[in-house]
Amino acid sequence: MDILYLLVPLSVILVFFILGGLWWAIYRGQFEDVESEGERILKDS
Amino acid sequence: MFNDRSAVNVAAPHNRIDARYGGQVESPDAGVATEDLHFLDDPQEWSAFSRPDPRSTDCWESNVLIEGMHCAACALTIEDALLSVPGVLKAEVGAASHRARVVWSSDVVRPSDWMRAVQTAGYRAVPANDAFARERRKSEARKALWRMLVAGLCMMQVMMYAYPAYVAAPGDLTPEMEQLLRWASWVLTLPVILFSCGPFFGNALRDVLQRRVSMDLPVALGMLITFAVSTAGTFDPRGIFGREVYFDSLTMFVFFLLAGRWLELRLRDRTAGALEALMNRLPDSVARLCEDGTYERVPVRRLLPDDVIRILPGEMFPADGVVLQGDTMVDEALLTGESRPVARGVGGMVIAGSHNLSNVVQARVERVGDKTRFAQIVTLMESASTTKPPLARLADRIAKPFLIVVLLAAGLACAFWWGRDPEHALMVAVAVLVVTCPCALSLATPAAMLAAAGALARRGVLVRRLEAFEAMASIDTVMFDKTGTLTRDVMVLGSTQVREGVSVVQVLDMAAALAQYSLHPVSKALVAAASETAASPAWKANAVNEIAGGGVSGRVWSGDATQTATDLRLGSADFCGIKVSQSDSLQTCLSDERGWLATFELHEDVRSDALDTVAALHREGIAVHLLSGDSAQAAARVAAQVSITEFQGDCSPQHKLDFLRNAQQSGHKVAVVGDGLNDGPVLAAAHVSFAFGQAVPLTQAQADFVVLGDQLGAVVKTLLMARRTLRVVRQNLWWAAIYNAVCVPLAVVGLLPAWLAGLGMALSSLLVVLNALRLSYSAKRLG
Amino acid sequence: MIFPNSLATTYNDKVVRQFAIMTVVWGVVGMLVGVIIAAQLAWPELNLGIPWLTYGRLRPLHTNAVIFAFGGCGLFTSAYYIAQRTCQVRLFSDKLAAFTFWGWQLVILAAAVSLPLGFSQGKEYAELEWPIDILITLVWVSFAIVFFGTIGTRKVRHIYVANWFLGAMIIAVALLHLVNSAAIPAGYMKSYSAYAGVQDAMVQWWYGHNAVGFFLTAGFLGMMYYFVPKQAQRPVYSYRLSIVHFWALIFTYMWAGPHHLHYTALPDWTQSVGMVFSLILLAPSWGGMINGIMTLSGAWHKLRDDPILRFLIVSLSFYGMSTFEGPMMSIKTVNALSHYTDWTIGHVHSGALGWVGLVTMGSMYYLIPRLFGQKQMFSVKAIEVHFWTATIGIVIYIAAMWIAGVMQGLMWRAINTDGTLTYTFVESVKATFPFYVLRLSGGLLYLIGMLIMLWNVIKTATTGRSVTVTIPAAVAHA
Repeated sequence: MDILYLLVPLSVILVFFILGGLWWAIYRGQFEDVESEGERILKDS
Repeated sequence: MFNDRSAVNVAAPHNRIDARYGGQVESPDAGVATEDLHFLDDPQEWSAFSRPDPRSTDCWESNVLIEGMHCAACALTIEDALLSVPGVLKAEVGAASHRARVVWSSDVVRPSDWMRAVQTAGYRAVPANDAFARERRKSEARKALWRMLVAGLCMMQVMMYAYPAYVAAPGDLTPEMEQLLRWASWVLTLPVILFSCGPFFGNALRDVLQRRVSMDLPVALGMLITFAVSTAGTFDPRGIFGREVYFDSLTMFVFFLLAGRWLELRLRDRTAGALEALMNRLPDSVARLCEDGTYERVPVRRLLPDDVIRILPGEMFPADGVVLQGDTMVDEALLTGESRPVARGVGGMVIAGSHNLSNVVQARVERVGDKTRFAQIVTLMESASTTKPPLARLADRIAKPFLIVVLLAAGLACAFWWGRDPEHALMVAVAVLVVTCPCALSLATPAAMLAAAGALARRGVLVRRLEAFEAMASIDTVMFDKTGTLTRDVMVLGSTQVREGVSVVQVLDMAAALAQYSLHPVSKALVAAASETAASPAWKANAVNEIAGGGVSGRVWSGDATQTATDLRLGSADFCGIKVSQSDSLQTCLSDERGWLATFELHEDVRSDALDTVAALHREGIAVHLLSGDSAQAAARVAAQVSITEFQGDCSPQHKLDFLRNAQQSGHKVAVVGDGLNDGPVLAAAHVSFAFGQAVPLTQAQADFVVLGDQLGAVVKTLLMARRTLRVVRQNLWWAAIYNAVCVPLAVVGLLPAWLAGLGMALSSLLVVLNALRLSYSAKRLG
Repeated sequence: MIFPNSLATTYNDKVVRQFAIMTVVWGVVGMLVGVIIAAQLAWPELNLGIPWLTYGRLRPLHTNAVIFAFGGCGLFTSAYYIAQRTCQVRLFSDKLAAFTFWGWQLVILAAAVSLPLGFSQGKEYAELEWPIDILITLVWVSFAIVFFGTIGTRKVRHIYVANWFLGAMIIAVALLHLVNSAAIPAGYMKSYSAYAGVQDAMVQWWYGHNAVGFFLTAGFLGMMYYFVPKQAQRPVYSYRLSIVHFWALIFTYMWAGPHHLHYTALPDWTQSVGMVFSLILLAPSWGGMINGIMTLSGAWHKLRDDPILRFLIVSLSFYGMSTFEGPMMSIKTVNALSHYTDWTIGHVHSGALGWVGLVTMGSMYYLIPRLFGQKQMFSVKAIEVHFWTATIGIVIYIAAMWIAGVMQGLMWRAINTDGTLTYTFVESVKATFPFYVLRLSGGLLYLIGMLIMLWNVIKTATTGRSVTVTIPAAVAHA
């Protein structure tokens, strides 16, 4: 299963990217005060 | 510079000069509030709720609360309204928090402009003064969430990599594959151990440096050992630690522990958040009487005691004071837990933070700022959360030897197993270190008490010291004061005897006509009674004369002039010049030119829920006593009304203290309920004390529980809550004991794998926190 | 840094219009090819002796056309529309966006020509030869620049959840494409995979399943999270759930691939990992379904009168069904029966026709009138008819395939008392024949529905006119 030498490190790197994305989201306040965000798209578009 | 007054002139319509040059802005719907908002245009004012934006010198970031939001879509409307004001660079409104963050340029616009935009949209913006404390809490919450999510995400991936080793049949998983998966697990555990575990290692290091033991020490030790063993197994698979790696266990228990702490933080935030609702509701400005008789609007911050202010219906009282003119209903719900509006007339006390509901009143300011009741409540709440009840201190005392025992047990177990299999030995040690949960002791007791304190606060009972819960749960006797505690400080008309030929109603009217000129409690009672049965038109009086210690006299005539005027006397029997038979209750007589006209019997106004409260206390097996400084007869009368069988009158403060001491020495646990003013020593000496009544200066009250409203039932609620709290705490302690008693031996013997130990420890602490949370919900059933 | 698109006052709907029309066109084409090959399975002579019309060559044309031409254009349409509307800013680069349109059409045309000609890398959903793969990479990178550039220059602080799904799709597909299509060229239209044997199989199905998971699921969930609330005029049921659902989903999808390779040369433990994580995947998938359907909570009556909403909500039901069926089928014991049978085809098509197809149709029906300045589609009745033909078609299709699949599985494993197989392979093929015909009729109905849609779209576009929408001014100056 040599291919795992590619796929496993790839997924580890991917995890770090995802963690980066998550960090960015948390510290940019993407997860705070979200109740009105669902409504926002209903306004004129 | 920017000339406020002339620039924002409501009377100059249709002038739309580019705001960039500091010109006028059309304001269609300013209304009364325009004058209010001007005060915020002073840089000194706006800096209380704003801070300079780092981006440029003239930019400010302000935090305000929005009133009138009733749905999530409102947030968007308000944002649009704000953004449409030139000079507003950014606007964010939180639908759940009802807060807005506005970034604006002071070269172009002033706070009053954009706040008016909010008003035009149909809402009201109020400066948020605690914005920066909230910022701190927010960043703490973010960090806790981030740590937990890092642990969670890495845990999931590591579990995936660990899974093959569990399911593969022997020989199915080649050594190279296994190695690869271990490597990957190691890399993904690094963020967890280096970042997520930060708090644990930090606390443990501090413990070691200060030579003490806290819960984080064994946990940190366990994490380190697990990581070390697993790392060795990864880099040297043929070495003594190469048989198994434990990255999945490690990440799992880190995740669960962090999840528990995050939940705790949220619980604390919610209690603090409830306070914020209180802290931010004072108005910005109020109308103050000037020397020339006109009113000018001044910022609330500038009020001083003895200022006379006018509060319109719909406005909020900005300070504690006394009503000088006017008669209105006020809503004190936030501060007293009393949901029904209460009447306040001339001489009535009004408190900062309450709403004026119906009529204009003029009031004299008595206390402002920090000295208001409102501010005191806030301080009280904040201080309560920092005290440590005896149970918690006990828990900490036990924790230390307990943890040392754990460390020793881990060491011994390791030494025992080392000979057989070093890797297994270390993991047994880890299991012992990790499985123990002293958290039930250190964590849950304060959590339970804080939850209970929060629940009670919402019902108008403030807890000054969390320790009071413990004491309250074990009381068996309650000592009530009479005046101001069991009774309200007013008299109430009971029965009336009249001369033949006259009606009670008429007699009451006639008496009230005189009584309204007197401030004596009896007079007030008569006026109150008369107003209920008021015939119209009312009787009038003149030439009224009040003799201290005697009564009131004057000439009265009926409103419809059907009868001739008469001279009346209202007061004691002697004053009226008549003889009446002695009676138990207080009597006031009314006589006219012909002699005796009527006798009014008055008694104290016992609180409406006093009887129920005493009954409930009796039901709970509590002995109830009444000790009063008033006469024995008065004491007996009230005791009878509320069915207290043990009562004493003519008690001096010393007498009360002696009584209390005796009871305590005979082994009773006594709670004292007083008005906090006169009973200082007694309240201080009691096991548990309740301060009652509206006039209590909170900073001086020595009571453990301060009842904000006037519901005696609060005593019962507190009792039940305290018992429930103690029950929860005891449950938690038992759980901790049984859990540790079972799991530690299992771990020592080697029957508990590390991952199960971690799971157990985390679940155990979660269970304990959730059990504590129950108290906030169960409070609903208290009513 | 101020980018030019932040100063623009109108949205770029031209590229949205272009993609939207082509979505419908390619839908017809892809489904037509599907009908042809379904017919060929029942009547193999339908290739008429022409090599370019043989089943082996047309099948990949069908899969590529419906997934990448129909589905892909639908995703481009939605991504460009949703990103602009939720970020309240014009597309990051009109030129690059135009390049993605023409580039993608070129890819499709290249596929339409090369696949019947027999040029294939032999990898499922990745058959296109290396030059076309390079073109795909160029288009996709441009797509990423336009999409993320638009998000980066947004005027609204919060990034609406649909954009997270679309963004994750773009990144994942880029990664998958680059890794799986790695090949060593050996001629203008010939190459050899960088991987071999069972290793290649693993990479292929790591790609294959994640293509389904990110291209066909995450991407279309992004579509759903925008168009369902818009059509229903109600916000998503639980916005918090949508956030949690997103992170859980992208996380768990990565290791489900091996479930395509049960009982193959793949090591047992890899197969087990695939099974377990496919099962775990059930939870986040259903989170999305519940969130979407419950958006109608309190407004179910709208389903009575609004066929577009019906498309969207029914698509979610099929999504739920497929994401339940999938994990079930990845359980080894179940897979022992279903692997290589038509049940797998049934599963694919319940997801493809039921979820991807219907949600794309519903979204296009929402978009196209608006893109052409109309209040509604030329004929709402036609939408209704389309809905019913499509739904009935789907039901017939999957029922036929379920029965066929289970029957095949049972026939293949039937053993006589002496240990020999009861049935020959050919006997199972013969027994499947009626179900192939049934499936063909289901697919035909589905195609007819699509033709009705094409007619409706043409009428709507020709009686309308292209409109330019202004970006709301209140935000534009902030």
